Amino acid sequence: MNTVKISDLVKEGAIHGDVYKDEEIFQKEMKNIFENTWVYVAHESEIANSGDYKTTFIGFNPVIVTRDSDSDEIHVVLNRCRHRAATVCQQEQGNANYFRCAYHGWTYSNNGDLTGMPFQDGYDEKFDRCKMGLIKVPKVGVYQGFIFASLSEDVPSLEDYLGHARKYIDYVVNTGPEGIALNAGVHKYSFDGNWKLQVENTIDPYHLSVTHRSFFNLVANKTGKRINFSKMHKNEKIRDLGNGHSLYELDGDLGIGALPFNLIIFPNLGFVGSQVRVTRPISVNKTHVSLYPIMLKGVSVEENASRLRKHEGFYGPAGFGTVDDLEVGFDRVMEGLNAKANGAEWLEISRGMNREEIDEDGIITATSSDEVSARALYKEWRRLMTKE
Amino acid sequence: MNGVLIDRKDVEAFLIDEASYLNDGNFSEWLDLFTEDAWYWIPSNKDHYDPNTHVSIIYDNKERLGERVWRLQSGLAYGQEPQSRTRHLISNVRVLDQDDQTITVSSNFIIVELRRSIQTIYSGRFEHNLRKNGNSWKIAAKKVELINNNEFIGNLSFLL
Repeated sequence: MNTVKISDLVKEGAIHGDVYKDEEIFQKEMKNIFENTWVYVAHESEIANSGDYKTTFIGFNPVIVTRDSDSDEIHVVLNRCRHRAATVCQQEQGNANYFRCAYHGWTYSNNGDLTGMPFQDGYDEKFDRCKMGLIKVPKVGVYQGFIFASLSEDVPSLEDYLGHARKYIDYVVNTGPEGIALNAGVHKYSFDGNWKLQVENTIDPYHLSVTHRSFFNLVANKTGKRINFSKMHKNEKIRDLGNGHSLYELDGDLGIGALPFNLIIFPNLGFVGSQVRVTRPISVNKTHVSLYPIMLKGVSVEENASRLRKHEGFYGPAGFGTVDDLEVGFDRVMEGLNAKANGAEWLEISRGMNREEIDEDGIITATSSDEVSARALYKEWRRLMTKE
Repeated sequence: MNGVLIDRKDVEAFLIDEASYLNDGNFSEWLDLFTEDAWYWIPSNKDHYDPNTHVSIIYDNKERLGERVWRLQSGLAYGQEPQSRTRHLISNVRVLDQDDQTITVSSNFIIVELRRSIQTIYSGRFEHNLRKNGNSWKIAAKKVELINNNEFIGNLSFLL
């Protein structure tokens, strides 16, 4: 796959179906995107105490996010023994001062340093123990408790990368009187489709009144008020915040969560309803999604419980909204993408291009049924995928 | 039933009847089995916790369970289009606790689901809290402990 061909897959207002189906493109995404930009890995509340850790992935790479037992510094290291490659940590979360590989006993402190191995006489002075720690992910950044890491050194500062999205993350954090925590478990679901379908679906208000009609009928039956989607789309905005990030500003309460906006942080993080959403590509046609309900610190148990109940109503593997997205937005799209004959290969993302406005900060805005968000995503996708 | 220990076979028959409503698509009849103050719970990530502090795959009161059934019958629940075919196999039935009015029953299940030409096996443990209702029972609580509740699972829009 050469760069010329990839750049041809994203046109003004259209994308080629191969971006969801082509194995070579997927492999290139794992290198050019997931190993070349900031990727969200954890929230500080998941590793709140000294020695806490969480295992996760950056693209294909299994990593451990740790809080240093001595300095409380946050490290992100590859979960791979330097000896014969076995993962040294198996748990999703926990607390440990050391990671000891169960294969030959190489042992690492939780900052990644190699501290020893059995029968050391097999190595002479040429063996430099200092260089044999768990490989550190070179860039680690924390913004308002959200921990990001980059496998490439060649990235802007995390603050610059988040850019115009920062103030919305600030808003999320300030919704709790004493901040927020991701400490109420996870909804985990999987689908046999490309990861970008889930990211795009995170800001796609155009589909709400169609795919989720049954849910909004239920809301209308209960409240006696029917949402006027045509009016709603006129009042609401979607903004391209740059670097692949985008924002959907809601007009009123849709009954699906607390935040007044949906936010996509390219490539794998989203804020939707009352949740932090993390999308992990497994293969070109398999994706894992984790939804972490955002719990408010400093409020009553009842208030957080009611956030959970509202979240469960729409989201998760049995939520009234998610399951319809899984079928319509992912399964049916993956099926339809097989039709490629007679020029069928292209997908339309041009809606609202005729009414975009650009402000002095370069933020592109149109109304909420417009495909500003998808265009923002594919602009950054194309930039990274065609980078030498 | 006053003072008489409940026969495991009677409870088993009740659970099998409940499953037959689900497998035959008689969702309204299934919903009617639940008391007005019932809850229906599918825990997420682990089997035991306080649902007020930890998210659940489903934590439905009777109202939301009714909405779940309404949706399945609305013709607009795309997650069930095509519809799942299911078979619930129930086994290892044990009465954990009982008094004059209520009985707590544990059972193991295998649910085979067919949808979009893919057969998926779900397994785990049910815990039913049954309340005496004439000669039979109503479900005051049903908990579904899936063995894969900490895995990335697929579309769970059918009823377990």
